[in-house]
Amino acid sequence: MAEHHHENDHEHIAIPGYLGVFAVLIVGTILTYFVATIDLDWIFPGANTLVALLIAFTKMACVMLFFMHVRWSPRLIWLAVAASFFWLAIMFAYVMQDYLTRSTGVFTQ
Amino acid sequence: MSTHGHSDKFVYHEPGLQHQFSDMEQQEESVSIGMWMFLVQEIMFFGGLFTAYLVFRSKYPMAFAAGSNHLDAFWGGLNTIVLIVSSLTMALTVYYAQKGNRNLQVIFIILTMLFGATFLGVKAIEYNDKYHHGLVPIAGLNLRAKGTAGAEQHPEGKPCWEVAGHSAEPAAEHQYVNPKGEFEWADCSLAKLAQDEGYLTTAEQIGYFSNGELDGNKFRDKVRIFYYLYFVMTGLHALHMIVGLLLMTWLLWTAYKGYYNADYYMPVEMSGLYWHFVDIVWIFLFPLLYLLGRHFLHAGH
Repeated sequence: MAEHHHENDHEHIAIPGYLGVFAVLIVGTILTYFVATIDLDWIFPGANTLVALLIAFTKMACVMLFFMHVRWSPRLIWLAVAASFFWLAIMFAYVMQDYLTRSTGVFTQ
Repeated sequence: MSTHGHSDKFVYHEPGLQHQFSDMEQQEESVSIGMWMFLVQEIMFFGGLFTAYLVFRSKYPMAFAAGSNHLDAFWGGLNTIVLIVSSLTMALTVYYAQKGNRNLQVIFIILTMLFGATFLGVKAIEYNDKYHHGLVPIAGLNLRAKGTAGAEQHPEGKPCWEVAGHSAEPAAEHQYVNPKGEFEWADCSLAKLAQDEGYLTTAEQIGYFSNGELDGNKFRDKVRIFYYLYFVMTGLHALHMIVGLLLMTWLLWTAYKGYYNADYYMPVEMSGLYWHFVDIVWIFLFPLLYLLGRHFLHAGH
């Protein structure tokens, strides 16, 4: 970060690199669709969603690291990205620990 | 990082350097951290909707699966690919801005805009389909249709789990009757499936049943929650696409005028960040909205 920017420092990845990331994203999309048609509930209920989210997170990481240049960004940007997901995790966790521990208000079943 | 190290004899300013920054490096870092702060807030903004989705899907998974199965995964998948291609053209726009290649910059901005517009066009086709099938969750906003005399919306006496109303392939003889333009849903077969196999959630055991019997109306209202979330999430995303297209229009003009070169291209890079962010939101919306119950269709249930 303290070093000086060189003339071709901001070139990141050349066109073959961008096309490679693009290929990963397309394959990921097709894979998402076909995995969704297979019933994975025999592993555990909701396994389909977990696989779909894993692929989505991989695709997101590719877009962020390479298309959005986070890979070559200063630490402060990395911190902003990590903090946003951490905050999101707090929101999900605190909301769900509330909803999952509420009684339904009905005392049957 | 260098602070004010200027000599007072001669101060060289790079053409793109704003006066409040000491050098290009500091300017670039400030601009990008500002943009990322905005994107972090956007993540939290969409995060609220994803939280709502999480809460209601965990309560009524089968209603969500039923609603999702009626969405057309072909259009959703096509739009995912369209957005990924537009992300590639956006990345190449930034690449050529860094190279100072004005013509290719302009070409790739136009391509990005074309794919963005294609996305919105597909979205319009989908919303139109919802309008014609009584799937807009607000009463009165669906196509109103008076049935021919004697036509019944729900076949009399048939339990809701045997109705092929809004399943993936509607029966040909099913006639669309909706005099008040209300949200309509007849098929509760997925709730029946979960009941038979014994994996209804506690909320579902209460939320789908009246007097121990599966209640089509109660199930419909849970499917309706899914469609509320579908419209708000994809609608907000589409709004971001429209904002992105306006941004691209401005970018096209300034790029055409030759404002950007190898030393100054931050507006292109920042617009790119926004565009990629909108793409990332869709990467999550596609599986979560379109594909979540797909395996029930293909498992032969």
